[in-house]
Amino acid sequence: MWPPLSPQMTPEDVAAFYREHHSAMLGVVVICNILGTVLVPIFATIAVQMMRIVNSSKVFAVTYIAAIAMGATAFIIADYCWGVALFRPDRNPQLISLLNDLGWIFFIAPVGPLIAMNLCLAGAIYLDARPDPVFPRWVAHFNVVTAVLSVPAAFAITTKTGPLAWDGSLSFTLRLTTLAVYVGVMFIVLLGVISRQGDEAVEMPA
Amino acid sequence: MTSSADAVMTKPPTTPPGSQLAGEGSMWFFIIGDLIIFSVYFVFYTWHRGINQELFLESQLQLNQGIGFINTLILLTSSLFIALGAQSVHEGEYRRALALMRTAFFIGALFPVLKMVEWLPKINAGITPGENLFYLYYYIMTGLHLCHVLLGLVIQAFVLRHLASEKTPDAEFVDSGAVYWHMVDLLWIVVFAMFYLMR
Amino acid sequence: MSEPTAAIEPIASVQPKKIRWLKNKKLDQYLVFWVVPVFFQVFGLVFVPLTWMMPPMSPDKPLADIVTFMQTSPLELALSLYILVSGLGAVVTVGAYWLVLARMAVSPAIKYAFLAGQVIGSVVGALLPVSLFGLAGFRSGYDPETLAMFYDFAYLAYNGSLGCFCLPWLALSLAIILDKNRILPKWLGYYTAWQYVTELFAASVWLTTAQPFGWNGYLAFYFNMLLYVPWQIIIFFQIYKALKNQPEDELDNVRLERSLPSYQAVPAYS
Repeated sequence: MWPPLSPQMTPEDVAAFYREHHSAMLGVVVICNILGTVLVPIFATIAVQMMRIVNSSKVFAVTYIAAIAMGATAFIIADYCWGVALFRPDRNPQLISLLNDLGWIFFIAPVGPLIAMNLCLAGAIYLDARPDPVFPRWVAHFNVVTAVLSVPAAFAITTKTGPLAWDGSLSFTLRLTTLAVYVGVMFIVLLGVISRQGDEAVEMPA
Repeated sequence: MTSSADAVMTKPPTTPPGSQLAGEGSMWFFIIGDLIIFSVYFVFYTWHRGINQELFLESQLQLNQGIGFINTLILLTSSLFIALGAQSVHEGEYRRALALMRTAFFIGALFPVLKMVEWLPKINAGITPGENLFYLYYYIMTGLHLCHVLLGLVIQAFVLRHLASEKTPDAEFVDSGAVYWHMVDLLWIVVFAMFYLMR
Repeated sequence: MSEPTAAIEPIASVQPKKIRWLKNKKLDQYLVFWVVPVFFQVFGLVFVPLTWMMPPMSPDKPLADIVTFMQTSPLELALSLYILVSGLGAVVTVGAYWLVLARMAVSPAIKYAFLAGQVIGSVVGALLPVSLFGLAGFRSGYDPETLAMFYDFAYLAYNGSLGCFCLPWLALSLAIILDKNRILPKWLGYYTAWQYVTELFAASVWLTTAQPFGWNGYLAFYFNMLLYVPWQIIIFFQIYKALKNQPEDELDNVRLERSLPSYQAVPAYS
């Protein structure tokens, strides 16, 4: 899907594109179907480490888990939309284009759960009452920045041209780059956090 | 020197038996609310019946009055046994209470069975909820009532388990379950009258 | 020689209000809690004055009217706003209830069943319908029949999502009724059981388009709203009460603080 299909393509062009790249796209769809939840374990690890953070309750961690599930489900629905569009290449081009639109909407736009996750993690870190916090404080700032950078993508559906459209620099490039950088950075952070686990200077109350 | 007035004041007041609310307050909240919700449905049913008299009458004639009547008897008898059982718990006769409650449970369990006997032939004959407005009301109201019956049987099962295992059962818990079952019975009488009898 | 006086904490009322608020021990819980009214404001804005999706339009609307509605409303903007706050939906549907659920003395299975049901419902019952409405307005020139199909799909998914809400309401009502800690009052548990029942009432929207059982029906929609809205408001206030009344020694951060060797108890003023 690189470069992403322009929202301005006519239904006939979209249908032609689907026919042309049929097997390659189907392969991607099936792989994404299986690997759709591949990011979940890393988010789950973050959630587990969030449970160690001492706020007055575990509310942020549990909300984080709920948001993970919401985000993953939206991604899988996008995958199904594209899969159905590819299933019968001789379908009415209008319908294929429609399913293509729906797939993109579910792929780019649902930044809500990601933003909620970022803000929950940031909030938990800021309010961590431990003398040796689980996550370093700059991770919280990083999460807030990530959340802010993801906001434009939510408006991807309001336009077909320009940077906000789903193939535009704000909605597509910025949003996906932010996500990739986020996952990479959090992975490295987690390595540090996990290795420090168990080295607490102070005994935590049960 | 204590006066006679003081002596009277220091005795704790005794409530005459039967004047306290049977079962828990929150269960009564649930029962009254449930009755109100059902009433709203009954009012709407009556209003629509007024508008579509012929359709409703025609469809009503297809209902099996006999099974409806037997179901009424089932619930009334079951309620009777539950009331006797609850009374026995208050009197401290726990073995008798358990026997009475078990009888109530098994009689009550016949209701869903008969309901299926009534519904399944209809559904097989193609008379489904989507058939017409009357049947939509019918299936929704009797279905909702059936859910209440099933819930009532589950509650009874928990009461039975409680009675069988506890040395001194909680009378309030038993009462709450009994009162719920009486409500289910009352609702059925209204449903029976409105759907089966009112012609 | 006089004893050195112990360090005296400034009396709480002398501190400026803003700092006092930030120092609140239950800040994380209050943050999650106050998201609820924000979310419902945006939600209400999106669904009512911005798009008039709610109150639901008639399932018997003529095709031409459906097309006009779907293509001219600012549905995309509304959808975008909703998507942005849909994540807050996780906070509102799970977080806010977790404030009280976590403290209840019931099986964790009930609590996690609640969580699972709410997550499913948020995607299937809210994100999906709003996305479908947004999609319909994205391009002009869609076939009217297709638009009508999306109209049906969206309203059915929104008003007719049943099981995914039956589960959490049933779990929540059981949790409240069986809870030995009585975090929330028992009558509220029974009231929550009625939320479960309204999901059963709503089943009729899949069967018919006519009053009173269609998705805009007096019984299948408006009566359910009559039962739902007061419940949402009441439980919101009850959660606030439970939150305020939560004793400090139940809080994780307070317990940690007190267990630290550097902790100095503030002398209580009698």
